[in-house]
Amino acid sequence: MKTFEPAPSRPAPKMTAGIIAWVKNNLFSSIPNTITTIFILVLLANVLPGIFDWLFYSANWSGETQDDCVKDGACWVFISAWSQQFFYGSYPTEEIWRVNLCLILLIITLLGSFFVKKGLREKVFVPLFLALPFISILILDGSWIGLEQVTTDYWGGFSLNIFLAAASIIVAFPLGFIWALGRRSSMPMARSISIILIEFFRGVPVLALFFMGSVMLPLFFPEGTNVDKLLRVWIVLTLFMAGYMAEVYRGGFNAIPAGQYEAADSLGLGYWQKTLLIILPQVIKISMPNILATFIMLFKNTSFLMIIGIFEILSTTQAALSNSYWLGGHAQEGYLFVAGLFWTVCFSMSVIAASIERKLNTEHRKELLSAALPVPASQP
Amino acid sequence: MSSNDTIFYNNPQIRSVIYQIALVLALGYFFYIIVSNTLANMESRGIKSGFDFLSSTAGFDILMSLIPYDATDTYGRTFVVGLLNTILVSVIGIVLSTIVGFIIGVAHFSHNWLIRKLATIYVEIFRNIPLLLQIFFWYFAVLSTLPGARQSLSLGEAVFLNVRGLYLPDIVADSGAAFVQAAIIIGIIGTFFVKRWAKKRQDETGQQFPVLYAGLGLIFGLPIIVLIATGIPFHFEYPVLRGFNYSGGITVIPELMALALSLTIYTGAFIGEAVRAGVQSVPHGQTEAARSIGMKEKQIMKLIIVPQAMRVITPILNSEYQSLVKNSTLATAIGYPDLFTVFVGTTLNQTGQAIEIVTMTMAVYFLFNMLISFVMNLFDKKVAMVSR
Amino acid sequence: MIRCINRLEEFQQGSLIVDGIEMIEDVKNIEAIRRDVGMVFQHFNLFPHLTILENLCLGPIWVQKKPKAEARDIAMKYLERVKIPEQANKYPGQLSGGQQQRVAIARSLCMNPNIMLFDEPTSALDPEMIKEVLDVMIELAEEGMTMLCVTHEMGFAKKVADRVIFMDGGEIVEQNTPHEFFENPQVDRTKTFLDQILNH
Repeated sequence: MKTFEPAPSRPAPKMTAGIIAWVKNNLFSSIPNTITTIFILVLLANVLPGIFDWLFYSANWSGETQDDCVKDGACWVFISAWSQQFFYGSYPTEEIWRVNLCLILLIITLLGSFFVKKGLREKVFVPLFLALPFISILILDGSWIGLEQVTTDYWGGFSLNIFLAAASIIVAFPLGFIWALGRRSSMPMARSISIILIEFFRGVPVLALFFMGSVMLPLFFPEGTNVDKLLRVWIVLTLFMAGYMAEVYRGGFNAIPAGQYEAADSLGLGYWQKTLLIILPQVIKISMPNILATFIMLFKNTSFLMIIGIFEILSTTQAALSNSYWLGGHAQEGYLFVAGLFWTVCFSMSVIAASIERKLNTEHRKELLSAALPVPASQP
Repeated sequence: MSSNDTIFYNNPQIRSVIYQIALVLALGYFFYIIVSNTLANMESRGIKSGFDFLSSTAGFDILMSLIPYDATDTYGRTFVVGLLNTILVSVIGIVLSTIVGFIIGVAHFSHNWLIRKLATIYVEIFRNIPLLLQIFFWYFAVLSTLPGARQSLSLGEAVFLNVRGLYLPDIVADSGAAFVQAAIIIGIIGTFFVKRWAKKRQDETGQQFPVLYAGLGLIFGLPIIVLIATGIPFHFEYPVLRGFNYSGGITVIPELMALALSLTIYTGAFIGEAVRAGVQSVPHGQTEAARSIGMKEKQIMKLIIVPQAMRVITPILNSEYQSLVKNSTLATAIGYPDLFTVFVGTTLNQTGQAIEIVTMTMAVYFLFNMLISFVMNLFDKKVAMVSR
Repeated sequence: MIRCINRLEEFQQGSLIVDGIEMIEDVKNIEAIRRDVGMVFQHFNLFPHLTILENLCLGPIWVQKKPKAEARDIAMKYLERVKIPEQANKYPGQLSGGQQQRVAIARSLCMNPNIMLFDEPTSALDPEMIKEVLDVMIELAEEGMTMLCVTHEMGFAKKVADRVIFMDGGEIVEQNTPHEFFENPQVDRTKTFLDQILNH
């Protein structure tokens, strides 16, 4: 019995491995390909240096007023001079620590909900999460807990976008879940009402909802009551989000194997026990990428609020641009900055959502999910 | 089943009925409160109700209208003007964003690394910036920096671009143009018949007919022949500078440009993602199997990949088009006179009849979305394959 | 048919009496029956977001309203019964198919049922793991548990069953003791079936 002696291995052919091969295949594999590559490279070479110059090299970074923008490039002084308004609106400077406190609470709650062990999570962080909008209102307004009152007219800036979005999705979480349960219900009335609610809040343009909140909602309240504008906006945003969350949950419900419901039933669990103990945790976990995508959409929509006069960051930018000390076309700097802020937040969230989705896919590879999850919601 | 000894409220069916009655009662009470409050409030503010306002004089001008309109027309007419403007920007947006989206989506599969990367960068940038911000950028930061009328950027003597808008030549039909228009219609109808005939022929004899080229020839070639034969019965009406502005020709106001541009770019990014997801959803094994049978690349695309990809793409297109129509309401922010701006904006401001106006407007948007759903469902049945 | 017994499926005609309780259209009645009947599924259906121990304690705590410590004792006792006490703090996804099914059996046992239903318990298992599950079931049977088992495991049925019911097209074709069923099939359909499977 001869033993097998392999011949010594030879080096790989030069043009099929390594960096030269990669360049050849991806950039120059054929004549049209080569022409395209050269064309794009030339284009980039012409355009990019100018852009970088304007953005960084010739830009003005330090100073206080418009006169400090002496060089030809972007006038970032505009941004730094207005930065407090961009982030906090007209909130009084001495009280800004309150806004920061709420933001820190939000971050702690979020991180806690994800990374803390199960027992602590359910007892501490989930209730904290649900109570957060109300705690924030107490802190920001201040009048009920003995701090100096800052009425909602003064709240503004990017922190307002964040708070409105977070407060809406927090309340929309349970509300949307109930609507989703109603949609699955075997009671025809509950089902019809849920479907009407869901389809209404998903089908109406966001702006129309905002207008309705501003114009029609006051008519619904008894004579003389004056409901705060920001509160109305929060209500409208929450209802809007709940409609989308309900659809996200629906996909999640469909993706849970039917056997889970049966196992819970066979143990003798009642409807609410089954729903809250078994189904809810699984639905949330499986819908997480879609939930994040919906949140990204909501966050972008908060910028639309400027149209009805809420002083979030976009309207603050418009105000800054028309300020008499800063006239002179800083629109590009302003919009680029705000775009950069939004882009950073939204892109980071979409990266997190993608990684959660990958993790879920490998975990569930063994279980065959017969119903496909809906593709992440993209826009209102 | 004997139900003599059941306590009635434990019977699941009766329970369900009780819950539902309670739900309906609660809802009824809720609505009752809202309606009575609303009526009281409207009375105390002197707001009328009813739809009579539609025949009152509007008294305001509209920036752009596809039908003749002036301030002496009725509110009802403002509704129509706004509606047409919304349809205009929506159709432009849908068509252009689909083209952009498919180009970007296909670019993800290019052999060229640079193109693939650029496509990804495009999608990631424009998906993550709010649409309103993009509209503002185009409107305030780009279009308003265009030169004034006298220093317009121009393409020959026909096309002019300045801070007031884009001016294009208008094509005016003279007598005899009817023949050319008829030829176009004949060409389109003829293509359908050719397609049916060619399919029948293929089923029977196996011979394939170049339907695409024949169709192009009919739709374009035939009218061109008629065009020349009748001595080209069209002429251009060029925009001409009179005083401070251009008149004549077709005017595209900057508001429309900014809105259409940003809607196209934004929605195009999402459609691009959808197309990519659709093509990626077709398992590679399909292409390999098709190649092993000896099918050509174009046939593989048409018969194997596109139908399966469209199964994923079509529902997303449906929701993206509906989103585009809903997003067109952002026209309010820059003053493009779409239905929302004109009706829920100005008209509501002047008449105060919020309930009627908002209801009419929302009914329109709901109808739009149902129409889009309907068309996309038809399309879905035709192009996408029925799944196992 | 097996799913009718704990009302995972509804029946239209006739009557069903489970352990002396007649099944009627009453929420409390159904819950009472379900507490008395345990079920093991083909695809295990363990709750993926809970540990093994939590899976087992769920029923006793929430349905039987037992205190947590008592529930834990019950859970560990049955976990030892199915011979995998060391897996208590793991999640279902970390266990093999055979182990998961044994946990599922233990989960039903924790409710102290008088009747156990098995819906094709070994059909989704690798051949190597079938034996460990069948062993547990045989032990249960020998201890006197009333079991209703849907299965394709002929050897198991022949060895353990008191009664064999053969169904086809939704109808009962033949009922008999195992010995009689396998040696002297009465109905033609049964004979065809036995021909197919015994002469593999």
